[in-house]
Amino acid sequence: MIRKTLRIKSELGLHARAAAKLVKLTSQFESDIKLSRLNVEEQVDAKSILGILLMAAAKGTEIEVMIDGKDEEMAMEAVVGLVNDRFGEEQ
Amino acid sequence: MTEDSLVGALVVTHGQLGQELVSAAQAIVGEISYIAAVSIGWNDDVNESKKKIEQAVAEVDQGKGVIILTDMFGGTPSNLSLPLLKRNELEIVTGVNLPMVIKVANQSSTDSLSELVTKVKKQGQSHISIASELLGE
Repeated sequence: MIRKTLRIKSELGLHARAAAKLVKLTSQFESDIKLSRLNVEEQVDAKSILGILLMAAAKGTEIEVMIDGKDEEMAMEAVVGLVNDRFGEEQ
Repeated sequence: MTEDSLVGALVVTHGQLGQELVSAAQAIVGEISYIAAVSIGWNDDVNESKKKIEQAVAEVDQGKGVIILTDMFGGTPSNLSLPLLKRNELEIVTGVNLPMVIKVANQSSTDSLSELVTKVKKQGQSHISIASELLGE
């Protein structure tokens, strides 16, 4: 299991379309991928749009990504890439 | 019925509400061919509205059953849909909201109609929150 903390930098936060993009990405991996707000126990499934939305991660929110499985390294790299790229929506 | 067919859905509402919910869901998850909307206008003829619903059900049905999502239990869109109710073939869920439409759009191909209908209801309910309670602020 690997984990990493990321900050949501996009203006709109982790909103519906961004969540849909994230799910499209995470669903390609076999590993179990969970997210939570930093220091919050409750985890959500990163392969569920509606689960992700329940985190209500606005701009500036720190989230923890937890990935467990065979392709965890690749999955983490992809998730970090998408989040840091502000979900490909902004300059 | 093919292995990977999906449960179809119809959003039946007062006015254009359903069409806009489907449009919003498509903007989020992409094109969805198996979800359609039927608008019931304030002055529409009852029999014509019923026919519109029946036709639309036939169009979204892929052989795995159909869920009709209506805006409000007891309202005309709901009442016109109720005669079509048939266990394991056509289920009706009232009080539609955007998370419910997204849930249908993102259904798993292994979900049966009865499984999906339960998930849709749960999803719709769990996404009604008082933000300050959820965020503890």
